[in-house]
Amino acid sequence: MKRIAILVALMVASGLAANRTLAVLQSHTTAAALVNTTSPQVRLPGTIYVSQAGSIFAISGARIRRLALPSGGDWSQPRVLADGTLLVIRRFDAYSDLYRVSAAGRVLSRMTSDDPSTSNQTLQLDHWILWPSVSPDGTEVYFATDAPKPAPNQSYEVDFSIWSAPLGAGFSVADPGVTGGTRWSVPDMYTGGDIEPVPLPNGSLLYSSYANTGKGTVVTVLGLQTSPNSPMRSLTTPQQDCGAPAVAPDGVTVAMVCTNAGQTANLEVATLEGNGLGPPRVVAANCLCNSPSWSPTGDNLLYMNAADTDGNFGLWYIANAGGAHPGAARRVTDSSVDLEATSAAAWSGR
Amino acid sequence: MSRSYDLSGRRTVQRRRASLKTRPQRAVRASFIAAGFLVSIVAGIAFYFLPAIQVALRDTGQVNTSLGGTAQLKPVSANENLPSTSPFTLLLLGSDSDSKFKGDYLTQSMILTRVDPATRHVTMLSIPRDLWVRLCTGSNGKIDQAFLHGGAQCAIQTVERNLRVHIDYYAWIGLQGLVSVLNQLGGVNVIANNPVMDDYYPADLSGGNPFDYQRILVLPGAQRMTGTLALEYVRARHDDAYGDFARSQRQQQILIALRAKTKHVSLADIPSLATSLGSDFQTDMSIGQVSGLLPIAGSVPLASITQVVLLPPYTSSVYVGGQDALVPDWVLIRPEVAKFFPVGS
Repeated sequence: MKRIAILVALMVASGLAANRTLAVLQSHTTAAALVNTTSPQVRLPGTIYVSQAGSIFAISGARIRRLALPSGGDWSQPRVLADGTLLVIRRFDAYSDLYRVSAAGRVLSRMTSDDPSTSNQTLQLDHWILWPSVSPDGTEVYFATDAPKPAPNQSYEVDFSIWSAPLGAGFSVADPGVTGGTRWSVPDMYTGGDIEPVPLPNGSLLYSSYANTGKGTVVTVLGLQTSPNSPMRSLTTPQQDCGAPAVAPDGVTVAMVCTNAGQTANLEVATLEGNGLGPPRVVAANCLCNSPSWSPTGDNLLYMNAADTDGNFGLWYIANAGGAHPGAARRVTDSSVDLEATSAAAWSGR
Repeated sequence: MSRSYDLSGRRTVQRRRASLKTRPQRAVRASFIAAGFLVSIVAGIAFYFLPAIQVALRDTGQVNTSLGGTAQLKPVSANENLPSTSPFTLLLLGSDSDSKFKGDYLTQSMILTRVDPATRHVTMLSIPRDLWVRLCTGSNGKIDQAFLHGGAQCAIQTVERNLRVHIDYYAWIGLQGLVSVLNQLGGVNVIANNPVMDDYYPADLSGGNPFDYQRILVLPGAQRMTGTLALEYVRARHDDAYGDFARSQRQQQILIALRAKTKHVSLADIPSLATSLGSDFQTDMSIGQVSGLLPIAGSVPLASITQVVLLPPYTSSVYVGGQDALVPDWVLIRPEVAKFFPVGS
């Protein structure tokens, strides 16, 4: 009798084992947290801030730490200021705000309050603020926001415009515009508008501008303005479909992502020559590249990329990207890590 | 019988008695034990694939189905395969299947797809949902109403008669099914063409009032899109210079990105995918044909995919029957369609 019981138990166990073996063979899609991996695979000087799953992580040499930012919302798009503090975006479902935080993640100030619907229930009064950037002299903050926009229920239009405001003074975003700010660009309606501002040392502004071709497509060009509301000069063609500009500290070396209106991208580097752009050089071809950013020394380039069409987005690095002989592209983070590809890394010399 | 006089003598005797059983008896006992293990293992495997079996029985191999009506099984065997060399045409249908429609679904997305396994070439033609056509019922209306009036068969007949094509198969998916499958697959990698913004996006999947709005924003550039984000990307249309046309292009883009995922789908993934789809999926393909489609999709290179959207002058906006619609210019459309979807191919 005992023998039969053992046999039955073994039979049940074999059925269970077959069932669980199949479960183990399933494709696993969960990405690893940055702090739990073997990253970084390339040790770079200074501190690199990246965004993953709503948190900001700092990579310093071989060490990775998570910034102790308040919980709630998704933190992304860090930008390093000269004093080592950071500008960061905190995004919720219907709005986002700009914060200034310490390198450890302590909130120093909440610079906008883009959630009026919290008190008046009208969702369309909320605003987005994204892609903060600081002028080379450190006095002005530039950003894209969906202001101005029509009053609720008047129109479906909601597009980004580029604005700037003094970094030390207060400003506020509302439907009519940014109080205390200066408007730079007027977007092409119903395209998404103008984003990713990069202020240049000569006072001009470089950014990505989306435009309706009139032929069923929306494309992006790199736009250059010499002053607020001055005419935009296109530095790239609609066919190149280039965006995500990043300018090295020299003020003239530009990295950008060009898709040629396709489903793969090239990471390209070109030089600003007066009000034009020199011939671009492809430093990473046929990739899922996004969000380039330069090292404080201006010779090394970081960007987000997926190793293949199905892979995780990681942080990649090209040494001497602005030079005549760029190095090979190298992945900085472990392949199991999936970073926020639309959030450029910020590289601090500290 | 030998005898043993030590303390273990009794056991020794028993063992020898047992050994006296005949060889056929031992064979029968061994067979029973083997069968028991086999049954147990098969049961374990069957239990694992139970969700897929349920979906296969309920949602595949169907035709003449009107959602909420009685499904009639198409006479195909479960393991019937797709043609390995000859091209076939598949009509992909997508519906807002949230609670505000109470089972009466329109098809917000209609993509006519031709797959040529031999040349590994795929053509996708998005049919605008507002296209004003003669429906299978004989009356005129927007093409998205065909599914509402007569299920997949009416949608197929309407497309076949108006575009003069032959459709071999159809597959229908609801919103929640799409979100769940994309999440199950870990999302798709896509280069978002531009910032996709909508302050009046339907808040119909968040569990509250399905008639509420929400604000959405999809950032541009290469990124991983999980289910909800991908749905927002393919569904948003209010702040878009090309409205439905633009989201048709984005729907094709997500389908193309999904093909990369099919390379990694194994047999062991089928039950969880079936569970994800729930009742938000229907097709007249057999389970064998569905599984045969995955490796074909995964092997198609990006350069071998042709995308077609019926922008003006193929269509023009009109106000008809108290609603905004798109009038087709069949003189322009039909030769173009015939080029990509030759009848009899």
